[in-house]
Amino acid sequence: MLAPTRTALSAFSTRQFLCQRCLRRAKPQPLASASPARVPRRNFQTDGNGPSKDDLPFRKVLKDVAKQKKKLSRENPGSSKNSQKDKDPRLEKWELTVGIEIHAELNTARKLFSSAATSINASPNTHVALFDSAFPGSQPQFQVETLIPALRAALALNCDIQHKSTFDRKHYFYQDQPAGYQITQYYEPFARDGHVTLYPHDFPGGVSPEGGPVTIGIKQVQMEQDTAKTVLQPPSTHLLDFNRVSHPLVEIITLPQLHHPRTAAACVRKIQAILKDVNAVTTGMEMGGLRADVNVSVRERNISLGSAGHSYYGVTGLGQRTEIKNLASIKAVEEAIIAERDRQIELLEGGGAVEGETRGWTLGSKTTRRLRGKEGEIDYRYMPDPDIAPVIVGTAVVEHLQKTLPRLSDDCIKMLVDSKEYQLTSKDASTLILLDDGDRLDYYLDVVQKLQSAFSGNQKVFDRVGKAAGNWVLMELGGLFKNEYWSESRVPSSELASIIAHVLRKQITGRTGKLLLSTKFDGDTRSVEQIIADEDMLLQPLSRPEYISLAEKLLQEKSDMVQDIIEKGQHQKVKWFVGQMMARSAEGAVEPGSAEEVLRELLKLPPVEQPK
Amino acid sequence: SSKSSISEKVHPKDLEQLLSTPSWSVESLLPPKTQAPKAPKISSQQLHHLLRLSALPPPENAEEEKKMLDTLSAQLHLVGEIQQVDTTGVKPLRAIRDETAVAEEEQTITLETLKDALAKETIVGKHYKRIQRNIDKVDATNVESWDVLGSAEKKSGNYFVAESERPLE
Repeated sequence: MLAPTRTALSAFSTRQFLCQRCLRRAKPQPLASASPARVPRRNFQTDGNGPSKDDLPFRKVLKDVAKQKKKLSRENPGSSKNSQKDKDPRLEKWELTVGIEIHAELNTARKLFSSAATSINASPNTHVALFDSAFPGSQPQFQVETLIPALRAALALNCDIQHKSTFDRKHYFYQDQPAGYQITQYYEPFARDGHVTLYPHDFPGGVSPEGGPVTIGIKQVQMEQDTAKTVLQPPSTHLLDFNRVSHPLVEIITLPQLHHPRTAAACVRKIQAILKDVNAVTTGMEMGGLRADVNVSVRERNISLGSAGHSYYGVTGLGQRTEIKNLASIKAVEEAIIAERDRQIELLEGGGAVEGETRGWTLGSKTTRRLRGKEGEIDYRYMPDPDIAPVIVGTAVVEHLQKTLPRLSDDCIKMLVDSKEYQLTSKDASTLILLDDGDRLDYYLDVVQKLQSAFSGNQKVFDRVGKAAGNWVLMELGGLFKNEYWSESRVPSSELASIIAHVLRKQITGRTGKLLLSTKFDGDTRSVEQIIADEDMLLQPLSRPEYISLAEKLLQEKSDMVQDIIEKGQHQKVKWFVGQMMARSAEGAVEPGSAEEVLRELLKLPPVEQPK
Repeated sequence: SSKSSISEKVHPKDLEQLLSTPSWSVESLLPPKTQAPKAPKISSQQLHHLLRLSALPPPENAEEEKKMLDTLSAQLHLVGEIQQVDTTGVKPLRAIRDETAVAEEEQTITLETLKDALAKETIVGKHYKRIQRNIDKVDATNVESWDVLGSAEKKSGNYFVAESERPLE
């Protein structure tokens, strides 16, 4: 019972009353499709952007977008898709280049520079240490444990972990930053020179715009503080909750090696998935736990800018870039890049020049909008923070975390597709991994293991168990769980394995197997074996004398058809008899092949040549 | 600025004479009063930009501005003098802290340092093992239980209030 003095909200924030699984399970969004999930509006590190009109509930924004789209497509049938088509002729002349900066909230118990607890929806200003509120005289206290998810994230992104890294102050004034500076790692980040590979299965429909796998370099991964949450009360009042101040973030900066909007969107989605795989982050973009800024530029394909072009960490000859900040969904990433690319191309083709600006994007807009020009560029006056000691990471720590790093989705998919044990399709493998935080995959692997030991002596069936189990776990069992949360005890893996084994041994029909499955799913406590025995479900295949007597009976009944076959040579009518034999027997008892054989014998027809 | 040469051998009888006249004064760090300082001229625009960056109030009148510019000029002269020192091969000092090898080893984060945090994780899964951090609430009352909103100039319920000058479009 809740104590009467606690508000519902504060009670809700005590974790023991929340379904932990639900908290962890944030369904990943398929590319370019909108989810009606509620996204709390956040503006971390807005660098003085000021309040924007996109503080409406996300759901309403999406509804407005859908309405607008419908309106447009009614007015101009066929024209609204133009900018989305890859066949845009301007793209043959202009090459797009994109670099991404991802900020992700780390999965830690405490904050970065104070031992206050991290929280998601706690009562405002209840998890604030003195330093978090920049109380004069307070000092930072680096929380070492925050390194664990940070290191895992960097290792999963194939980075080199720096033995020594330091923290710097990035100065700017904004109401969500009490100290007047953000503590980040500008000069010496803790991880450098990583990469992430995008495979065809990371794209919608399994088609990569680059033709095959593409590897994107990662310049660095750094740790930094998050800012406060702002609730806007129009017209100009901000309510501030400092619970989120100093929540640890990692910033992941890619090299400008992305050349297609879909690749950029897939890159963000992939990095988010990798971070979740290693438990470095728990909430994704849709919950506000991850946000992307993109840098967009275009250049003419056949003209080399050489030294006249801009360069970034070794990538040279680039056009002038603009930065689009605060993209809060994968769909927004893709659409904002397309809009900005088109804007820049139009500008350049019209004889203008692209300015180095900071721009913003709202879902449903046609173009990006300017937030800040070069004159308004902020001078952050980076300086090493003298109050914080350098972070020195021992090699044993790095080795241990690398060794115990959870297997990444890519490796799982490779195993499920390439290995003879499983032989799943790429699509099925990707689906299996995404379901139920990996619990479904774990269950599948257990079912396969049990089947393998059941058929260890029978190589032919042994090779088929992976695919069979895949079908049963994803389609049959998956179908039963459609509107319910997954539970591995509903149909224990041993029971499912038993059902599949019986089907593979042809002891029961497929249909009987499905019936058994739903019977167990609905709570029947008997073992599969017991149910089969009780309900007499075993297949009774016909013996040869039984085939013959059934066939003879049928042939007697339909003597006119027999005449057609023998005298008029209409041999295909034998199939009709086969069908009749099957219909008149218990399901699965009659095998079409054997039936046809017997019939042809009786009719004195030559046996059918089996196409081998 | 005057440079003292300590490389000469000093005789005990010359010591008193050597020490009787100063060879260097901190005054050399300040701009000489008789000639223009070597520091570049700072414009009024630059001053205002710097004040804005630091969220400091602008000068109230021309006299105050002149005073600020003079002070800034003197400070820049001092910085210029310090920049004359040859620091090749000297790593910048960021804070007064022990930077010896022994200290570095003490500060290195090891598995021992992270032992407790790692113990709070569980491995889930039989075949597909995944890490899950134990997400039970931590007790942080020792740093969290103080009157957070007590010194707030403006508050509303449990929130701090900040007014923006620009109303929403």
